[in-house]
Amino acid sequence: MAASGSGGSRADNGYGSQQPRRRKGPGALATAYLVLYNVVMTAGWLVIAVGLVRAYLAKGSYHSLYYSIEKPLKFFQTGALLEILHCAFGVVPSSVVLTAFQVMSRVFLTWAVTHSVKEVQTEDSVLLFVVAWTITEIIRYSFYTFSLLNHLPYLIKWARYTLFIVLYPMGVSGELLTIYAALPFVRQSGLYSISLPNKYNFSFDYYTFLILVMISYIPIFPQLYFHMLHQRRKVLSHTEEHKKSE
Amino acid sequence: MHSRQKPSAPEHKRNLAAHGGALSMSHNDTRSFFNFSQLVLSAGHLKSPPVLKHSKITYFEVEILDVQSKKQICIVDKVPPSSTLLDVKHKFHKACPQWYPSRVGLQLERNGPYLKDSINIQSLAVSSIITLYFTDLGQQVGWTTFFLTEYTGPLLIYLLFYIRLSTIYDQVESRKNFRHPVVHLACFCHCLHYIRHLLETLFVHKFSGGHTPLKNMIKGCAFYWGFTSWIAYYINHPQYTPPCSKACFPSPTYNPFTWLFLLVSCPNYTYEVGSWISFTVMTQTLPVGIFAFLMVIQMSLWAQKKHKLYLKRFYPEVRRKAAMIPIIF
Repeated sequence: MAASGSGGSRADNGYGSQQPRRRKGPGALATAYLVLYNVVMTAGWLVIAVGLVRAYLAKGSYHSLYYSIEKPLKFFQTGALLEILHCAFGVVPSSVVLTAFQVMSRVFLTWAVTHSVKEVQTEDSVLLFVVAWTITEIIRYSFYTFSLLNHLPYLIKWARYTLFIVLYPMGVSGELLTIYAALPFVRQSGLYSISLPNKYNFSFDYYTFLILVMISYIPIFPQLYFHMLHQRRKVLSHTEEHKKSE
Repeated sequence: MHSRQKPSAPEHKRNLAAHGGALSMSHNDTRSFFNFSQLVLSAGHLKSPPVLKHSKITYFEVEILDVQSKKQICIVDKVPPSSTLLDVKHKFHKACPQWYPSRVGLQLERNGPYLKDSINIQSLAVSSIITLYFTDLGQQVGWTTFFLTEYTGPLLIYLLFYIRLSTIYDQVESRKNFRHPVVHLACFCHCLHYIRHLLETLFVHKFSGGHTPLKNMIKGCAFYWGFTSWIAYYINHPQYTPPCSKACFPSPTYNPFTWLFLLVSCPNYTYEVGSWISFTVMTQTLPVGIFAFLMVIQMSLWAQKKHKLYLKRFYPEVRRKAAMIPIIF
């Protein structure tokens, strides 16, 4: 992150002078836009949370709560696609590939599994990942909002880097169980599948694809989980030291 | 003896004083040689002998630090000023044998570019100790190896699919030997393409940089080999649909007049024959009849020729059709 300014001092080295690197933060307009975006997303996921609670209280059971928050869930989870653009345009200093990967996996589960295979919408595993996502996203977007405004309460930071320990496995379990529940219906209806022979000489089996997606969780989930644990140690211990030194 | 301009060594003075005038022969010889050497030495102005420090070549010392931890890995000393970075890397390899020169990345600053092997050590030096930061570039592989591996894969993989290995395709379907010519042509073109790449790598291309990390080779091979498998699977599949089977000859569309294509190969002749016969009947004129008769013969011949061509090229689709007159001919 730090700029190396002395690169050009030795002139005759055979590799020329080096530009000092400067990390530009987002400008004022970009910051305002990002604050707006994060506030809207926080509000949206709060709506989903409230919707879940109200539906639970009205129904008296936690089954089939998906229908009560179907529309806001689809809207706000799909809205997260904007985050890929934020990274692509450099407004947010994250890796485009990583962000795209994370957002696409969420959008895939929302549309290509839960929405497309109607029979799984009554499964309890859907509630499992919806709750996990809701809590995570509320904390995450409020974290970003406060960070942008430079007034980050320690509680939010703590929550973001601690609650994932429970929420992440919870969400992953819900997702995997939902995909698993969708499998027989996909096989039966031949959803999103195309077989030979056809004009384009192409075939795609959605059933096999879903199984491969499930298998891909095995290497990817531990990596992301341990990365977050590592981040937690770095961020929270840094704050502790900061507190102690004051 | 001789008058000396410079005072000689004290020893010599003593000698002269001791021996005085008359001397024996052997003494004379020794002394004259000695005097001669003294003369040579004292003749003219000699440069004052240089200070001992400057007469030695200044060797450099290269201190190599790890780029992440900034800890010193080793110091390469006695580096002559004329040597290049590659020589330093070789010396470094002797000290730390697990890092051979091509996997050593050296930077002058932690965020700087990697220095080229051909850089002269002297140009980097500000003092007699040079500090460089080391990064392990990972297992390296030569460019020739890289490309040969990358291109041999597709060549062989495609052929495995072409011969329709029993593990890939269903054997019952594969045994229906009919394969559209384009399948053979595709195999030929594909193989020729990769043979060309291999020959280029061996005989034409000259690679400037020596090596690349092994990880790049794995990625490149995964990409090429993976895609070749995906491509080859479909082209050589028993249920492969060749191109142009519907587009190369006319098929019926929403237009009702084209529906005759379901029954005949050349409905245009059918319609024309019909027209001229109708015209004959309409006008009840013999010359028209003669003309119509000749046209019917001509067009039948043309239709027959075209139908035979379609049968040869698109056998499955035109099997049920007639040439010009539905069912009959």
